[in-house]
Amino acid sequence: MLALFFLEGTEMWLVLCSSSDTSGLWVYHGLRQLGVGPMELVLSESLAFGSRWEHRLDGSATQLRVTLPDGRMLCSSRIRGAINRVVAPAPGIDQQAAISDREYAQAELHAFYLSWLHGLPGVVINRPGAVGLCGPWYHISEWVSRASRAGLKAPVYRQSAQDTAARGDASLAPEGTTTVNLIAFRGEVYGGRVAEPVARACARLAQEARTELLGVELYASQNGEWTFASATPYPSLSVGGMPLLRSLAEALTQGATS
Amino acid sequence: MILVCGIPSETPLRMVTSNLERMGAEFTLLSQREFPKCQLWFEVKGGETIGELQVAERTYQLQEFTAVYPRLMDDRFLPELSNEPPDSSLRKYCRSFHDTLMRWMEIAPALVINRCAPMASNSSKPYQAQLIREHGFLVPETLITNDPDSVREFRAKHGRVIYKSISAVRSIVQELSDEDEERLDRIRWCPTQFQGFVEGTNLRVHTVGGEAFATAVRSEATDYRYAARQAGEPAELREVTLSSELSEKCLRLSQALELEFAGIDLKVTPQDDVYCFEVNPSPAFSYYEANTGQPISAAVARRLASDYTTAPIAQNRLAETSPGDAPHVSTCGPLPIPRAETSRTML
Repeated sequence: MLALFFLEGTEMWLVLCSSSDTSGLWVYHGLRQLGVGPMELVLSESLAFGSRWEHRLDGSATQLRVTLPDGRMLCSSRIRGAINRVVAPAPGIDQQAAISDREYAQAELHAFYLSWLHGLPGVVINRPGAVGLCGPWYHISEWVSRASRAGLKAPVYRQSAQDTAARGDASLAPEGTTTVNLIAFRGEVYGGRVAEPVARACARLAQEARTELLGVELYASQNGEWTFASATPYPSLSVGGMPLLRSLAEALTQGATS
Repeated sequence: MILVCGIPSETPLRMVTSNLERMGAEFTLLSQREFPKCQLWFEVKGGETIGELQVAERTYQLQEFTAVYPRLMDDRFLPELSNEPPDSSLRKYCRSFHDTLMRWMEIAPALVINRCAPMASNSSKPYQAQLIREHGFLVPETLITNDPDSVREFRAKHGRVIYKSISAVRSIVQELSDEDEERLDRIRWCPTQFQGFVEGTNLRVHTVGGEAFATAVRSEATDYRYAARQAGEPAELREVTLSSELSEKCLRLSQALELEFAGIDLKVTPQDDVYCFEVNPSPAFSYYEANTGQPISAAVARRLASDYTTAPIAQNRLAETSPGDAPHVSTCGPLPIPRAETSRTML
């Protein structure tokens, strides 16, 4: 019989990510090496087949209790915070629905994930919002508009009803140009080296998008100016290296509720 | 210039355009069904958004539009596409046209009632309930689970329990019955939402442009939108006056959710507690207006025609005549209504 060992344990931090998310796994191991613990890795694939879910709301509290296939139990009263890299509910459950109900099942699962992730206690980086489970997934047109407002040089973005392919959140960096990836986290910028005003503008972009942790990609334009290419709440975290890991560890262990 | 988009014959849209005509406001009506004759592009350059919309022979500069009222139906189901194969060029153009329109509306320097991003809070009812709770409303005790035993315990505790969709996909709110309990194994593969039943009077409060219009609904049905089906007779709607405290609370909630226009579903208990069930970001207000005469569409039209750079003032003409803060609601005259819509059920 599998033991439900989280119930007896002390408070813990979670890293929520998929098994193919190398950044999520990098953060999990890095934070453990920095002594953040107990730290539990919860793969989205295992969430998909959680045998028992209970998510409760009342006038003052939000609670979560989920039993994972390996017997671990996640209970919100024991969770101190989380690194949230859940992009979507893992595929699998909705496949059990009749074909005609699959779209509905997907909407229900997404709505469920949005609620329980939002209700996690403590510091959650990033807490989900209405337009993204691990932070805002804006369309590239909106990122360009926001980047300009934040003070970043941005390319002209044009979209027409005649366009044959959806643009989504694709990078605007022209092929062959030099790019740099930065991570803006709580007002600081990690990763590649750029001039201070550019770094400050990246931090403003994250702040303006109300995102604690935001990846920003820039490219070198013909005159050498760093120019906005894309932004994501699901960046490759390893570009931030040890300084980012230390800041994440500090935020998780000392930070106020996010 | 105001841009109104959707299906011109749809009642809420028609009511708003009628009011705009009466006011003499300058507006353009973009019928979704005319998309094959339309052209659209926009550009974001140096922080500014410009572009052009061509409807039939006429071309509009997008920057001319000071306000937009989109009531768009799912473009995949437009009648013009009914005989089109999945990968037809007309289908692709239709999608691309609507995508371009929506992307522009998200960043347009205009009043948009409402933009997609804030509307998305309604895509998860329990998520939205957590935001609602932060603004001082009670929310019904809720359990989302895939465990039949938890549901049985929840029902034993609450007596009356309802179930409904978690997402924005409309479901008919149903009371959990003994027969439903026997089918609870069906929830094992997908968590389902249950709520303790709240006794009281249903209230729909429409907020727009700093005004709040409250309608009380009397019905024996669990879901008054389907009163004729569930209770055998239609619900009765009547205009009511909110206390200034509750009115301002509703206006603050809409503002916090960044919704220029909202339909807030409340229930006031016999103990005068106010529960909030959800905030609808695209309310079908015509149902309430047609049955009470409340000038909701006129208020939407006024807001569209206003200087959008001015934040709506939290003035509530109904509350101004309110006798006080308690009770939360006082009544005006009654009116009945019927309505039927297709919907999903959970079990």
